[in-house]
Amino acid sequence: MSTPARILLADDHALVRRGVRLILDQEPDLTVVAEAADGAEAVQLVRSLDLDLVVLDIAMPRMTGLQAAREITRRTSHGDPPRMLMLSMHDNEQYFFESLKVGASGYVLKSAADEDLVGACRAALRGEAFVYPGAMSPLVRDYLDRMRRGERVPETVLTEREDEVLKLIAEGSSSKEIAAALTISVKTVERHRANILAKLGMRDRTQLTRYAIRAGLIEP
Amino acid sequence: MGLFWKVGLINGAVLVAAAALLVLGPFSVSRRPVMSEVVVLGVGLLAMLVVNALLLRSSLGPVDRVVREMATVDPLHPTDRLATPRSAPGRQLVAGFNAMVDRLQDERSASNAKALAAQEAERHRIAQELHDEVGQRLTVVLLGLKRAEQRAPAELAADLALLRETTREGLDDVRRVARQLRPGVLEDLGLASALASLTTDFAQHSGAQVRRVVTPGLPPLPPDTELVLYRVAQEALTNAARHAGATSVELSLTRVGDRVALVVADDGHGFDVRREGAGLRGMRERARLASGELTVTSDPSGTTVRLEVPVTAS
Ligand SMILES: Nc1ncnc2c1ncn2[C@@H]1O[C@H](COP(=O)(O)OP(=O)(O)OP(=O)(O)O)[C@@H](O)[C@H]1O
Ligand SMILES: [Mg+2]
Repeated sequence: MSTPARILLADDHALVRRGVRLILDQEPDLTVVAEAADGAEAVQLVRSLDLDLVVLDIAMPRMTGLQAAREITRRTSHGDPPRMLMLSMHDNEQYFFESLKVGASGYVLKSAADEDLVGACRAALRGEAFVYPGAMSPLVRDYLDRMRRGERVPETVLTEREDEVLKLIAEGSSSKEIAAALTISVKTVERHRANILAKLGMRDRTQLTRYAIRAGLIEP
Repeated sequence: MGLFWKVGLINGAVLVAAAALLVLGPFSVSRRPVMSEVVVLGVGLLAMLVVNALLLRSSLGPVDRVVREMATVDPLHPTDRLATPRSAPGRQLVAGFNAMVDRLQDERSASNAKALAAQEAERHRIAQELHDEVGQRLTVVLLGLKRAEQRAPAELAADLALLRETTREGLDDVRRVARQLRPGVLEDLGLASALASLTTDFAQHSGAQVRRVVTPGLPPLPPDTELVLYRVAQEALTNAARHAGATSVELSLTRVGDRVALVVADDGHGFDVRREGAGLRGMRERARLASGELTVTSDPSGTTVRLEVPVTAS
């Protein structure tokens, strides 16, 4: 196995930082090498350290996580910027779209961090997007709308099950609700979701961003 | 001319005319009036009364009408004021009355503005506290439980998992309450994102199609004005979802000259716009806060709520 991915963690709340750090350090392929207490400090550290991933809390003093991410993307226009992942309390898909817009790979809700964070970090490191579940509904609804209007949409062959899951997602059902409705496990729903995203061309960060811009969910 | 002088002069003129007629005309009254003289006198008196009444009506009538109309004026409607009559006494009364209603309205909207601002500030404070204190602490607990679960012996793991789920639910509750109190997205991401989020919610919770048009490059607005636009859009969408029975709704935010216009239009069955509830009244009050102009039009083919605010409002 290669060396673990080097992570910078930024959150203004020291105890949250500690909690996240313990979760990430637990994984053999991830290691937190630095911490920042606000956005400005994070930007500073990104310049001086060699990092693979930056995990940024959104609500931070001096400079918010979103501003910091924009700054990091802007400053490292030549060379590879580290991947970024936003962490936040806000359960609102607009934050996810804004995160994509400022160059992040995904958005993890703090109340789901215990389950999703590790997976999101790995996805981001692979160059994939981590789609915040609440943003799935507007994304696939746009897809269904365009299909209904007879517009050309990415050629896809969804299985019958995936099609059912897609419709439920469009109606705004959560993974738990979908699992209950189709009497399958949440894990299976999540696998279907990942497959749907991949088939609709929303797996990697750039693809997804392009898709969201075309759908009018992000301003270019 | 004052009302007193006008009435006095009219009465005086009629009496003078009657006296002059009596003196100069071919009339006489005997010490013991005969029947014909009584008839002539009676006719003269009647004529006098009629002329007097007609003359007085033209000057007092407008006053009566104004008094009747006063009862129906809605001070909240800036355009609902008495029309100025042509004759002088009515005009003074109307001018005085309208000025008073305006003053009343100004005072009322000033105190409403204060109350609304205080309410928003308080909501803001509580939402912030929930996010920054309670939310962060619960996050720490959630992550700590996860960690403990990973290292705990098997017989404890199930208990810890249950606690973790409960903590997550608590965190979700806190977040939901905070979001209802104050839309963080407006503050963090701006009006366009906040409106987008409203329409997404609307699409999810009502069967209707929703279209959103936000012209890019709108001039920056003061935060208070953005909050007014947001709250009006929110209430208009809530009404469309709850009452309209619409199949499609359009929300737009565009620039019109030196104003920004928010329009929420549904294709529902409409309603009688004179029957305003707390929702529409609230919109009107908020519109005044931003020196804006709110118009609601509705017919059986749909309802349109339009709010225009000046760009330079502070
Ligand atoms: N878009 C609409 N389409 C059809 N009817 C409407 C619409 N908006 C409002 N109405 C009607 O007008 C009434 C008053 O609306 P308003 O928003 O002022 O109060 P409300 O919605 O009843 O109460 P509140 O908003 O305070 O909970 C509603 O009860 C409804 O009958
Ligand atoms: Mg209402």
